[in-house]
Parts: sequence; C-alpha cells; structure tokens
Amino acid sequence: MEYVIGILLLVSFFGLAVYAVKGGNLMLGIFVMGIIWTVLPMVGNMLVTNPDFIAANKDAISITWTEALTNVFQSGPEGWGATLVNVIFGAWFGRVLMNTGIASTLIRTTTELGGDRPAITCILLCIVTTACFSSIFGAGAVVAIGVIVLPIFMSLGIPKVLAACSFMLSVGAGMFVNPVLYGQYSAFFLDENGETLYPYDQHVSWGIYALLIQVAVVIILVAVFSRKKKVHSWAATTPVAKKNRRGDNAPGISLIAPIIPVVLLIAFDVPIILGFVIGSFYALFTCGKIKSWGQTCRMVNKDFFDGVVDTAPLVGFLLMLPMFNKAAELCVPYFNALLGGIIPNNTLVISIAFAALSLMGMFRGPLTLFGCGAATLGILKGIGFATSYLAPLIIIPSTVMNVSCCITQSWIIWGVNYTKVSTKDFLKMSAVTGWIICIILQAMVYVMFG
Amino acid sequence: MFGRKKEQEPVQREYPLREMIQTLVELSEEQWGGYAFYHEPLERKFTEEQKKEYARLASACGREEAVLLREKFPGESIRSMAEKSGLKVKLPDMPTGGGHVIFAQFTEPDEIVIYRDCIKKAEVLIKEEGLNEYLGAFRLQDLLLAHELFHGVEYQKRETIFTQTERIELWKKPFSNRSRILCLSEMAAMAFAKELLCIAWSPYVMDVLLMYGYEKTAACALYEEILEAAGVRERED
Repeated sequence: MEYVIGILLLVSFFGLAVYAVKGGNLMLGIFVMGIIWTVLPMVGNMLVTNPDFIAANKDAISITWTEALTNVFQSGPEGWGATLVNVIFGAWFGRVLMNTGIASTLIRTTTELGGDRPAITCILLCIVTTACFSSIFGAGAVVAIGVIVLPIFMSLGIPKVLAACSFMLSVGAGMFVNPVLYGQYSAFFLDENGETLYPYDQHVSWGIYALLIQVAVVIILVAVFSRKKKVHSWAATTPVAKKNRRGDNAPGISLIAPIIPVVLLIAFDVPIILGFVIGSFYALFTCGKIKSWGQTCRMVNKDFFDGVVDTAPLVGFLLMLPMFNKAAELCVPYFNALLGGIIPNNTLVISIAFAALSLMGMFRGPLTLFGCGAATLGILKGIGFATSYLAPLIIIPSTVMNVSCCITQSWIIWGVNYTKVSTKDFLKMSAVTGWIICIILQAMVYVMFG
Repeated sequence: MFGRKKEQEPVQREYPLREMIQTLVELSEEQWGGYAFYHEPLERKFTEEQKKEYARLASACGREEAVLLREKFPGESIRSMAEKSGLKVKLPDMPTGGGHVIFAQFTEPDEIVIYRDCIKKAEVLIKEEGLNEYLGAFRLQDLLLAHELFHGVEYQKRETIFTQTERIELWKKPFSNRSRILCLSEMAAMAFAKELLCIAWSPYVMDVLLMYGYEKTAACALYEEILEAAGVRERED
C-alpha cells in the first residue's frame, strides 16, 4: 500500500509541474496540492499493513485526522505570519526609497560617474541595483527602478536583451542576502514548534558569496556582450507616473539608506524590522521629508499603503505555500518507501545533479521553492540531509533560475515587455547565464557544507 | 486613514489628438531641446543656458549634414541616399507597443530598421483626424528613415562630427572622465530629418502621434511631459 500511495503522490507532483509550466494559477494549484498531499498519506496511514513500514514510521503514521488538518490548514499559514510582517515592512522601506528620490538619485549619480561608456555605466548601475535589492523587495520596487535604469541602458546603446537580462540578474543577485526573501525561504525550514532551523546568519554565510559571484558573472556578461554593435533607437517612453516622479536630488548623505537594514542586521544583529524602520526614517529625515507631525503621519500612511499593495499579489500565494509544506511532511514516509533506495544520499551526487538540472528551477519546476520545489525539498528532507546543506542546495536554483531568470516571475515578464525583447532571446541569455551561475554556486555550497 | 479623506490618485487627463498636434507643431527648436535633455542621463550636469546653447548647436549640426547630403545626392529619395551611403534598410512589420515604443533604430555600423507597424497606425490617425492640416504633406516612413540616416552619417563621421566630439568633464580634478552628451545626437537627427524633408515642425512631434497609435493615455502623459520640459506647462512634482 505504501508504494501505491507513494506513486499517487509522485503522479500528483508531476501533475503540479505540468500545471505550473502551462502557466496555471499557482496559488490555487498549491492549495489543491496541499489537500491531495494531506488526504493521500492520511488514507495510506489507515490502510498500510506492512509491519516494517509501520515500525519505521510509527510516530508519523499515528497522527490523527484532526491533528493533520490543524497542522496543514491552520498552523501552516499561521506560522508564516512572521514572514509576512517582514515582507510588508520591506515593501514599505522600498516605497520610502522611491518616494524620497534616493533610488533615482543613486542611479543618476552612478550614471554621471560612468558617462557614455556603455559597459562601465551598465556595470556600475548593475552594482547599485544589486545593493538596492539587498534590502528592498517587491515587483513595485523593481518596476520603479527599472523605468529609470532600463531607458538609460538603452540610450547608451546597450542591446535590449543585455539590458533586460543584466538588470534582472542584478536584482536577483541582491536577493541572496535580502532579509525579506530570506524570510520566505526560512518558512520552509521550521521545526515542529515553528522555530527556524535555518537562521539568517547561516544564510548570509554563503549568500554574500553567492551575491558576489552572480554580480561577477553579470559584469563578465556585460563586458562581453556590450562590445556587440551599438544600437540607437528612436523610441518614446511612457512617462513615469507623477506619484513616482519626486525628483532625483536626494542629498549625498541619504544615499547609504538602501543598505542600512542589511548592514545593521549583518554587523550588529539589529532585527530586520527595526532595521527597516531605522532605514526608512533615516531616509525621510536626511531628505528633509519630516517637517511636521501631521505631514509625516500622512506620508508614512501613504508609503505603507503603497508598499502593502506592492506585495499583495505575492501574499496569497505565500499563505497557501505553508499548507503545502506541512502536507509534504505527512508524505515523507511514503516518499522514503518509494524513493529512499533510489535517490542517493551522497551530497556530491546530489550537488552534481542539482547543478546539472538547474534549468528545472525555471517555469515553477521541481527545483524552485516558488514552484513544485517544495515537494522536492520534502523528499530530500525525508532522506535526512542537514538543513545547512539542503537549504542552499535548493535556494540557489530558486533565486537564480526563478527569481533572476524566469519569465514566470512577475517583474521579469514586465521587464521583457518593457524592453520589447522576445521571450526566446531573453531566455537564451538568461537561462545559459543562470545555469553557469548555478553550477559555480552548487560547487561552492558543496565545498562549504557538503 | 482613521477618518481622513483618502488621497485620490490623479487620473491622466485625455486630450484630443488634433489639439495636441496643433500645440506641438508650434514649439520652437529650443523648447524641443528642453524635452531632449529631459531624457539625457547626464541632465543634471547642465544649466538651462547650456541646454539652450547645446540645442542650438546640435540642430545646426543636423541641418548642415542634411544640406551636405542633399548636395552629394541631388534629387535622390531618402532611401536611395541611405543605400548609396552604404546603409542597409529593413522594414519589418513587427508590433512594438508597450511602455517603451520603438519606432526605428540604427545598429552600428550600417543597419537601419524601420518598424512599419507604428507607421500604419499613425497613417490611419493622420487620415482620420485630418492632421495634415497641421503637419502638411509628408511621408512618415521617410521621416523615420531620415532620422536614422543621420545616425549612419554620424557613425561614418564619428571622429569629426560635433555630436560625437563634444564632451563634458564628469569627474573632479585630478581625475578625468570626459563623456559624450547622448541627446545631442538625437537633437541633430531630428533637425537633419526636418531639413531633409523640408517640414516646418520638429519630428519630435511624432513621439506623441506614434505613441497615440498604441496607447492614448501614455501619449497624453507624454504630451504633458513635453509641455513641462518645453516650459509651456508648470511641473507638477
């Protein structure tokens, strides 16, 4: 019986992969998978007769229906509440950087440093973009910075595909230490009490190198491909909405604001929400936006509102995801029974497989935690790999292939449409570059934690 | 929040196309210079006076090159001039709509691409709205081609032409980084096309007309931006 249940679980896993690749709504897809992966193992628990299987999984299969349903549908989303709060404060911080003009001033100043040299200016802007996204998060922030950076790239004659690809990879590079994205990843690694098994300092211990490696690859990409023929376009750009056009003359002292939360967290262990609050008020104060109590209240309210709207599309999906994660825990005995003897428990083999199959992190495939990688993680957890190894193993394709390279990521498809690059041309450059980055990073993680 | 009236996001005002074109054809070279600098990455480095002077010099450069080319190829069509200048002209039909609408492009060293999709849309608008009343008779394809032809000529003369040799110092002494001013090239290309086609208005007008073919609201927002940059309308920051 355990094999039958295991096979049915695998079939549903591939069903989700096909559904995700075809562009199905992931929020409901994940929810339905949560139901299937709760019902199948619970039915299996009632029907299994193999004494060895029962003895090996005594605790797991003795769970009651009430406990299972509570764990999956109540405790799961509730446990993600802490992450949600971080996401919202991060989005607010992003809005403050936009509305004070700090982000646009930073970009303008960088451009003025590099001048008309396409490669140098493009590389400098990529580094600044990475620095910004080491703290801020959300499609709204990517679009707000993209509408400034991408036209500059194109006016410098950078080929459109390189402009789109280097910008998105730079956004993704910053995400390696982004506390908001980390919060989402950490939700996959909780113990039975809801405490994280994967602290931020452990994440940063390799994430900072991942960031540097991805930026280095972007620099090489720009250096190689910006030598291609220069392009002059006669084009018109939709003007930036008035609410986003608040000048680009923020004072020099305010320009360190984007990295304040991450620096405070890494260097002084300042909690991330406090870091966002300090960073936001530092930005508002140095930009002279705090004039009176009433005006400050209105501005903070407005920026908070806009920040929450920025993250709204993500929240639904991320509240369903913990149900699926919790349900995956119920399935572990069945995956072990079916795959335990097939999937190697050798970290070198697993690392090589993840490096070779990194492309499966695209299109919400089985190697991204924002797709059906949650199930893959469930299977690997069941085999017993250490979290310190397992977390970076799957975060790498999630951040590189999904967040930085894939057109199923909301802000990437925006960038592709904005620059008028064909999805085929974009994917040819982004997928190959992402794959190279994944291979390097998987090798690094094997050396560090394997 | 908490009893206060919710701030309403401003709704983009819509303008009739005829009204926009009628206003835009009246703008001076200097005013269009303001619009060109609006999109210049190094815009903050210039005073208003410098911008006006650069607009004048770039336009003069474009006109001069147009005269030289006409003298070199008397009586030839724009396309023929381009081809005899060693440039390849492509006319794909691909749509280019969206937030960043590309009408035409020049790829170094010798390729010009004109996107016919935007031309078709604009020609329908010109006919339906009777815009020839303000624009006079002209071939839109030739206008786009003439603009890109300037970039071809500019590339061939890159060692000597004003738009490529004029530089601005970006760094403080003792360091040095002298950069070209990208919008000079665009202003000169517009003046070049205007001179070559013998039209009375700046080809920059086409930014609004061509955008209107894809997205009316964006074209109206662009119109407002042009008026702000030209100093006709107050900035609403």
